[in-house]
Amino acid sequence: MTKPFQIVVCGSIVPDPLQTLEPVTAAGGPALKNEMMLPAVLDPWAGHALFEAAHLAQKVAASKVWLVSLAPKAKLQQVMMMVAQKAPFELVALDGSASGFSDSFETAAALAGAVEAIAGLDRSRLLLFGGWESASRGAGSTLQMIGERLGINEQFQGVDRLTILEDGSLEVLERVEGGKHQVSVCAAPPAVLGWATGNLPEPRNNPQIGMANMRGVMPALQKAKPAPVSNAGLCFQSVSLPKQMRGTRVVKNMPAEEIAREIVAWIGEE
Amino acid sequence: MESILLLAHTEADGSLAKPALEALAAAKSLGGELHIGLVGAAIQRGADQVANAGAARILAVSGEAFTQPRYATDAAAAEALCRASGAALVMAPATSRWSRALPGVAFRLGGRVDSHATAIAVENSVPVLTRWFYRQRMEARMTRSQRPWMILLDAGCVAPWSGPAGAAAVESIALPAPETRTSVVGTRAPETGEQTIRPDAKLLFVAGAGWTKKQADGAVHAADAEKLILDFLRASKASLGGSKSLVDLSGEGEAVLRFMTHLNQIGQTGATPRHPKGLSTCCHGEEPHAVGWRFIGQRRAINLDPNCGWARGKADVLYVADAFEVMRHINALLV
Amino acid sequence: MSDSIGAGFERQAMDVDIACVGFGPATAGFLATLSRNLLNADGTPAIESRVMPGMPLQVVCYERADDVGFGVSGIVTRGRGIRAALPDLDLAAIPMAAPVASEKVVYLLDPVGASRRSFALRLADRAFRAFRLHRHFGVELPYVPPFLRKHGGVVLSMGQLMQHLAAEISSSGVVQIWPGMPVAEPLTGESDRVIGIRLADQGVERDGAHQVGFVPGMDIHADLTVVGDGPAGAIGRRLNEQLGLPEGHHQREWALGMKMVVDLPEGSPLQPGTVFHTFGYPEPEIFGFLYVHPGGVATVGIFVPSWFRSPMRTTYRYLQHYVMHPYLWRYLAGGKLRSWGAKSLQESGRRGEPFLAGDGYARIGEGSGSTNVLTGSGVDEAFATGAQLAQAVLELARESRPYTRENLERTYTGRRRASWIEQEARVAEKARDGFHRGVVSGLAGMALAGLTGGKLSLGGSPKPMPSPEQFYSRKVPAAEFHAIVDECRAKALPSHDALMDACGWPAIPFDGQLLVTHQDALLMGGKVQAPAGYADHVRFLNPEFCQACASKLCIEMCSGQAITPGPNGVPQFDREKCVFCGACIWNCPAPMDGDSARTNIAFHAGAGGLHSTEN
Repeated sequence: MTKPFQIVVCGSIVPDPLQTLEPVTAAGGPALKNEMMLPAVLDPWAGHALFEAAHLAQKVAASKVWLVSLAPKAKLQQVMMMVAQKAPFELVALDGSASGFSDSFETAAALAGAVEAIAGLDRSRLLLFGGWESASRGAGSTLQMIGERLGINEQFQGVDRLTILEDGSLEVLERVEGGKHQVSVCAAPPAVLGWATGNLPEPRNNPQIGMANMRGVMPALQKAKPAPVSNAGLCFQSVSLPKQMRGTRVVKNMPAEEIAREIVAWIGEE
Repeated sequence: MESILLLAHTEADGSLAKPALEALAAAKSLGGELHIGLVGAAIQRGADQVANAGAARILAVSGEAFTQPRYATDAAAAEALCRASGAALVMAPATSRWSRALPGVAFRLGGRVDSHATAIAVENSVPVLTRWFYRQRMEARMTRSQRPWMILLDAGCVAPWSGPAGAAAVESIALPAPETRTSVVGTRAPETGEQTIRPDAKLLFVAGAGWTKKQADGAVHAADAEKLILDFLRASKASLGGSKSLVDLSGEGEAVLRFMTHLNQIGQTGATPRHPKGLSTCCHGEEPHAVGWRFIGQRRAINLDPNCGWARGKADVLYVADAFEVMRHINALLV
Repeated sequence: MSDSIGAGFERQAMDVDIACVGFGPATAGFLATLSRNLLNADGTPAIESRVMPGMPLQVVCYERADDVGFGVSGIVTRGRGIRAALPDLDLAAIPMAAPVASEKVVYLLDPVGASRRSFALRLADRAFRAFRLHRHFGVELPYVPPFLRKHGGVVLSMGQLMQHLAAEISSSGVVQIWPGMPVAEPLTGESDRVIGIRLADQGVERDGAHQVGFVPGMDIHADLTVVGDGPAGAIGRRLNEQLGLPEGHHQREWALGMKMVVDLPEGSPLQPGTVFHTFGYPEPEIFGFLYVHPGGVATVGIFVPSWFRSPMRTTYRYLQHYVMHPYLWRYLAGGKLRSWGAKSLQESGRRGEPFLAGDGYARIGEGSGSTNVLTGSGVDEAFATGAQLAQAVLELARESRPYTRENLERTYTGRRRASWIEQEARVAEKARDGFHRGVVSGLAGMALAGLTGGKLSLGGSPKPMPSPEQFYSRKVPAAEFHAIVDECRAKALPSHDALMDACGWPAIPFDGQLLVTHQDALLMGGKVQAPAGYADHVRFLNPEFCQACASKLCIEMCSGQAITPGPNGVPQFDREKCVFCGACIWNCPAPMDGDSARTNIAFHAGAGGLHSTEN
């Protein structure tokens, strides 16, 4: 019987990917236009990490899942309305910026501090999960720095599968070049796992889970400590939207055979 | 200009692969004193490859313990090299191996790290980095004052350095095998049995959800779709991408393309690969997917809807046609 | 109720005190008022839960849309109900809000010459043009009739308002709002007592067959079910079907409202808080509006009403012609589409009221007939009815009285009848009847009702719809008409565009920025999407009706082009394009079982739809 895990998932919010995003210059540097007005979702890869955590916690009795999130309180609350129906977890909220332009070093510092402050945390059973990158900053560096601050030297990125082997060790599949996975075995926690998509479908909405989660989520949001992230030493010279308009040639009424010839010729060109 | 350390890990045979040589070219372009740091089981071949790259020092951490891509050992090796070098800037290719470990090293050194760099330049003696934010929707140019500043360069952005090999004098940094609980067991190819992801392919072929929808005769033709797509991939050696909706359908147990997995996804929560050409089929071209096409050079699309997203500036050419028919003819021509 | 989920599946159940269906302005009014009174200052429950003793009242709201901020409406409102219930709320501080600065009513002439105008109207138009009484083909009325006036009011975005209210309500911690949770049906016990709701099944194919990961929708048992799911809401309509409407009441009058939110071109002279109400173009029956938000943003939209008796009426194309009318185009040209949405409005007013309360349930908001068609306002009225219900619930709960029909009628309906909602609804009751006779009679009737406080009105009752061939006969000969329709149906396209072209409406000059294809409006503007794992929520019940139907108005009026011509004359439905506007419900001309209120289209709640918070 495997001993229970303590799975801490670090993840923030990002604007719903369907929205139109534009940069603006604010006092502290670049920001997202109308960020507070845009609907937000849980960062997709962090979301996968959360669902994998919940799945694992279900399989290994007495395991527990925390979600540690640094984001503006009001937006985090909105996102919780959707996420809290999906999987059981305890929320640790930090009130601060979720901007993609904030420094991952400072974000990692704030998150690591919050993880260390979790009451009853047992490092020997700790699995630190998160998305391997965010859909905002896209740095792929925050989790590593949290791991370093917590003294965790066993780290994995681009994870698609975690299997607990018979002897309790962790078999991890990470994405590597060429569409393959590297298989590693880690004898025991603590470990850091930055997830890609994994293989689980998004869990269905469950009102009972929602109700149970909400008892903790609202107090956690109310208690959220401010976590300012200064971008000291980081300077953005410009942030721009790429000009993406090509003059599209729309070809109608061309027989399929002719289209095929044109495409084959195009593929063959240097 | 500040000193730069190029960090590269070697392949199984001790040589340096293309991404490392690209990062080397970028490092050289900055103009400062160059050091090269190598990590791997064997490193001499790689060192000789870059012997004439103009590095003031070539350092290495080598040995059995550093063969496998693994956080604890790679981080220790990189840290040792950085400290031995003392360079202010550290450039490395953003391979999966380095992407895993180097951000942790930046922390250990009290420096900062930026990944997915697409370009690095010097302006007024200051290094300026270019990278994308919000899933390739915005491009930013930035500098940092903290040092060391670690920069991970995405593959395919910079022409690789090339030069004659030589006999390299390597400073070996002795490092005891770091303690770790992790061992790498091997690699695994996709379970679908079909190798559909080819990062070096000249063409990206994207299959959209339309392949598994009802066609004009009111029926779904998933088996036909599979055959057409696989035949095309085999003949053209293109790399396969999919839209999120198609990949999600595969997960929900719907009529699917069985070889399509999350690894193939292009766009918002998928990859943003680099290929000179891209051909999109049965896909609407809406924004969350299209962001994944940022680094595709020439773009063409086949879709029955003349008003799909590709029609308005996202593609160079849109063929309003039935992809099943067109692909059938293409496959016949490629045989 | 039947329970046919199949072997091996257990339907879970949960007990709460109060379950709400739909999070719109009405439920927001209910929850905002309720939540402020559920806890004492020391945090102990002011009203104890019956299902969880020791805890405060357990109140849960289920909303089908994927987020609380995805609703659609104009809005320009005097906000009386909202301000009364939430005196500390500064409406003007909500993003996109602007205090009303100026208001105009404009009669729009037809610069294109394609609209169908009566003889009287054509004469009037000629006079206006001859005497140059128009500016940019718009005749500005010298004053705004008092019943329309929104002086002291605020221009708002529905999405931002709802986001703001939801945040406030949720942060209280005593009420839970769950988006992405469509409700499938009400649960009823003996004698039509409502005992709760059943949530929609998840993990099903489009046809309802189980998928991997099938989860039957949970049963939520509640002492009180609050139904605020709007005029097209499945639960409200199911109750109407089961319980019938009060004697003499009907819900035949509807309108489809569709809007765009536009980034105005640089240097626009339009000031925030500018309000235009228009009528006359693109068809005399179509009312329109333009409201200006701060930051160079404007909302522009139209209403296509049920008494616009075109058997192939449509909305999006008309909205584009509206936007291009010279009076508006001078402001909008060069603008960029940033959001788009559509919804059905229940325009039967007081006569459209269902039973407002019964054993275990109460109806609030537009689905309960609160929208005032004379003043053209619904959001504030809906909110007020929600607040009134909350007061009623607090009164009953404090006295530990059960939620019976008598008790709810006494406390909720009583409050509603004694309020301005009722007074103004009575004035509006017959205000629109004149439109059944014609546009000029309709406008005269509105004015009459408005100015006499409802004492006088012009009567009229709905006339049957002409056949499509007949309707187009003046401009399109029968043979050509059939050829056009047959071709469109063969290509699985709606016919309205081709028919409007044939009637002389100019083609839309797409610019990819503001004038975009219908599908682009869905994607660029509405960000429309639907999650997998839910069944098709629009179904065509009896294929024979569809086969026999000449106009197939559901296809023409579908706001998202989700309903298209299908094989064998039965329309097909693409749930990924549906924005839940509900137009299909009231545009189907086939009555079921002799009941003119039910049609051949079943419309359930589902997840997905619009994903814009700016409408």
